[in-house]
Amino acid sequence: MYRSNNPYRPIETKVLEVITETPTIKTLKLKPKEELTFETGQFIELTVPGAGEAPFTPSSRPAVKDTIEVSVMRVGKVTERIHSLKKGDTVGIRGPFGTGYPMEEFKGREVLVVGGGCGFAPLRSLMYEFFEHSGEFKALFFRGGCKTPKDFLYKKEIEGWAKRDDLDVMLTVDEGDGQWKGNVGVVTTILDGIPMDHKKGVAVVCGPPIMMKFATKKLGELGFKDSNIYLSMEKNMSCGLGKCGHCRIGTYYACKDGPVFRFDRIKKFPNIWD
Amino acid sequence: MAAYLISRDNFLNLLGTLQKDYSVYIPLKKDENRFFTRFKSDEKDKEDGHIVFGEVRTVEPLKVFYMRSRERVAEGFKDELPSTGAKPSCIVGVKACDLKGFQVQDRVFRDDEYKDPFYIREREENLIISADCTCAIDTCYCLALHVNPYPQSNYDINISEVSGGFVAESGSEKGEKIIAGNASLFSEAGSNHLAERDAKRKGVVNEVKKNIRENRIPDQDVLEGAVERNYNAPLWKEEAAECVECGACNMICPTCHCFLMYDQQDAERMARLRVWDSCMVKDFAQVAGGANPRPELWMRLRNRFEKKFDFFPKFSDIYACTGCGRCITACPAKIDIRKVLRRLVENV
Repeated sequence: MYRSNNPYRPIETKVLEVITETPTIKTLKLKPKEELTFETGQFIELTVPGAGEAPFTPSSRPAVKDTIEVSVMRVGKVTERIHSLKKGDTVGIRGPFGTGYPMEEFKGREVLVVGGGCGFAPLRSLMYEFFEHSGEFKALFFRGGCKTPKDFLYKKEIEGWAKRDDLDVMLTVDEGDGQWKGNVGVVTTILDGIPMDHKKGVAVVCGPPIMMKFATKKLGELGFKDSNIYLSMEKNMSCGLGKCGHCRIGTYYACKDGPVFRFDRIKKFPNIWD
Repeated sequence: MAAYLISRDNFLNLLGTLQKDYSVYIPLKKDENRFFTRFKSDEKDKEDGHIVFGEVRTVEPLKVFYMRSRERVAEGFKDELPSTGAKPSCIVGVKACDLKGFQVQDRVFRDDEYKDPFYIREREENLIISADCTCAIDTCYCLALHVNPYPQSNYDINISEVSGGFVAESGSEKGEKIIAGNASLFSEAGSNHLAERDAKRKGVVNEVKKNIRENRIPDQDVLEGAVERNYNAPLWKEEAAECVECGACNMICPTCHCFLMYDQQDAERMARLRVWDSCMVKDFAQVAGGANPRPELWMRLRNRFEKKFDFFPKFSDIYACTGCGRCITACPAKIDIRKVLRRLVENV
């Protein structure tokens, strides 16, 4: 719940660290002047003074209360400016906004997490939540894909995940290079044969729209129920309060009712993948 | 609620008194249109019939007083609301169609779990002196949306033109106080005045009914599910064929509430502004990467109708249209909401 008097003003925030993850993605470690807690899957609006704001889902652990991390792909005006930020710079944060992942729903069940490209960012925060409560889930699977091996966000960290006993990891790239020894192909090519009960299991998908569209289709073919598929619908969220109108999907606002949606709740609306 | 009588002169004196606490706006007629204009009590033209408290709605929707077309919503990292320094507004001659707009705007900005402090400030501080319509123009169809052409709620004082002045009724505590505080300007309305008011109301109702009949405008009772049923109908492409994407239909609409926020391009004096936005404009829903759920103009026209006649009734049990007919007049491409609604229910 948002607690500011003026919901449009950002909280003053320091940039503590800027990490270059891939040629197009940087991660910012941020320290807001006021405590800001979020639930995994909720998003924030990040302001660059003089440039404007844009929505991002934190990629850090919700349990960490004094700092917050976002991974930002350079795609437009504001993200261009974010990429030029340096340690010590001042930015602003509004939020958190929206409805994140329903962690309680996942407990006691087999969970498959499917990520693509920059979609790893919200999913890393989700994975931290899973690890934090390890043992409360029946089984965890992570399937991730990127364009090329150099596009992998959190590469080192995910290599660490692969060694965990409580997680089954498999990665793929659309296009390999000399060193890549894993699967080559889009993410749907590594979704077959996962040792879980598809009819009862939960799937979480986050990535570019085209990837989510085909991954969701594939999950349906594998036997996942629409009501067990959770998608991150990152629309043009601006005010974060369900007022400015830009992010409406059918009868919902992505900024309030989402960005995480159960597929069965939005599947009937047209153009959800665009 | 008791009904009072106030003469036109006394009413103008009352507006003069209200100027102490409010910026008073009255509907002034220019050619065939009415515009909200700042009231000046020393003005001579209050004599010559330019002020029209009755007649029909103004060109501008009432929302101009509740969310400015451009306003500052944040300065730096300060939590305080930027002050406009302006007195609250007293808006006179507001019509019932515009008051219905409040049902939509209130739901979004005031009654939602997230509050908009700017709207709430205006809503609490402004004063509404509404008025009965004394005629209809050919674009009026309020009754189709179950709005009568005379105010029944959401006003502080309502006036109805009768011989000898106006019948005045308060609709809020604020209105009641103003009447009590200026008691010498009012007398008790007689049953003859009330009978005259009711007869006039009936006359205007009949005019609007005639409009609805002649233009075959569907009643909102038959609109349920109409947009959904016609989702893939050819009518959207046909109706959007002449659209020039100007957004006038959104700007002029008393229920449209969408806005765009942008920051002043000055990192030292950080300020955030918001302006009215239009869902008819191509980049409205587009994201930074370029993806756009409504790349075609006809999809955006369909979306506008979906928002008003499908989303809003599902979201809040009201149709986000007041029957004011402003969008019909404003559209340079002559896209006519009455025709679109007719096509939705007649499947033509």
